[in-house]
This record gives sequence, structure tokens and C-alpha cells, in this order.
Amino acid sequence: MIKVRIPTPLRPMTGGKGEIEITGNSVGDMIEQLNTSHPGLKDRLCDEHGEVRRFINIYVNEEDIRFLTGKDTPLKEGDEVSIIPAIAGGA
Amino acid sequence: MLLLPSAILHNMIEHARLLDPHECCGILAGVNREVRKQYRITNILASLTTTELARFDQAKLSDLKQLSPEERADIAFQMDAQEMALAQKDIRTQSLQLQAFYHSHTASPARPSTTDITIAMEFESYREKLNLPEPLHVIISLMEKDTPIVRAYQIRNSTATEVEITRS
Repeated sequence: MIKVRIPTPLRPMTGGKGEIEITGNSVGDMIEQLNTSHPGLKDRLCDEHGEVRRFINIYVNEEDIRFLTGKDTPLKEGDEVSIIPAIAGGA
Repeated sequence: MLLLPSAILHNMIEHARLLDPHECCGILAGVNREVRKQYRITNILASLTTTELARFDQAKLSDLKQLSPEERADIAFQMDAQEMALAQKDIRTQSLQLQAFYHSHTASPARPSTTDITIAMEFESYREKLNLPEPLHVIISLMEKDTPIVRAYQIRNSTATEVEITRS
């Protein structure tokens, strides 16, 4: 199983769950699987071109997928994926 | 105490003035609370066109949904996630560590807003999983345009405590 860590802002879409286990072969697979079990989640993570949104980082273990092979980044048993919003705030 | 080179301090103030009335944001890296390198990060809220901003709104600021409407109205910066990741990669390559996130307040004091604290705590919730050190939060206030004020804070358990900045 692969553990996916869900950030607080997205938990209303996952029934409050902060971690979800999946069995995908790639990050792209993972997003599709998450969207099947939690419809609408893909829209939160990806823009209309299917690219990861400018304010979201996805890490496989400790590495950002932008430095791996993006959504094609392979996943294997025991990997941990973290979905993390970029730092924001102000005023 | 945060040791901050004057050149970087001035560069942060210049960054804040450059983006005013938008807020600037960035990352400070170094070793053991001694800052050695600054990364200006694009505030995507300041750089988006009106069309893009409308689309951004449609995404319902998905990552900020935990905030109350009042807090959400206060959101004035959002780091570009790719630049943030690039900075983190460079920090690792140079054997430095994350020391602080900085941003400006263009019309309010140099202390963390409720929104800043909420988001800092969210960052805390996953920071250790990513093997990142606890960052300070530096705020540049341009409330008095001619006399900018820069302060650093540690945010723990939803409480911000000021940390002295010493110029080097």
C-alpha cells in the first residue's frame, strides 16, 4: 500500500481523513484513484490542463515530483506521498 | 536570535517595496539561525492576471478552505509552489537549511496575522515528515513607508513569540 497524506483544507472531501491508502503505479494513477473514491479531488489538485496547480506541491517521500518525473513519477509499495499547499498568509 | 546579514535585510525591504501594494514573500536559508541566502519567491496572487485570478477563485482557494471567510479575505500572498520547491532543492544542494519564511505586510504591523498563524500551524503538521527544520516567520511591515520594520517570530501551538534579529 502507498500512504497519501491529505492536507487539512482537503479533508472535508475525504470524510475528514488525513491519510488514505492506495495502490497505484504512478502519481497520475494516484490522483485518478483519489478522484474516483473522492470525486472532485482532482480539480483541487490539477488545473484544466491536468497539471499540478501552482500552489500545490506533491512529494513522494521527501522529494517534490517536479524534480522526479511529475505525474509519471512511479510509486511503489511503502512510498509515502504528501500533498502540500504552498506557504500563504498575509495582512 | 536570528542572525541576518544587512545586505539580505535590505534586499528583503527592497523586495517588499517593489511589490507594494502587493505582499512579497520568500525563503531564508542558512545554518543554525544564521541566514546566508535569500530566495525571492513569486507571490502568485500578485502575479496573476484578472482572468487567472478568476480561475484561481473558482478553484476556491482549495488549500485555504480551512479558513473562515474573514481570514480568507486576508490572504495576500501565496508562494509559487514550483519556485518554493526549487529553492528547497538549492538549499539542500548547498548544504544549508531552511531558516525562515518571510513576507511583507503593506499596511499592518510586523506581527503574524491570524491567517499567518493558521497556515504556519498547517505547515508544522507536515514539516517533520519532509525532514525540514522548524522555520521562523519574518515579517516586513511597510505601514510606515519610510521606516520599514522587520521582525521574526517563532510560531508554536498557535502562539507567535518574537525572536530577536541581530544584523551581521
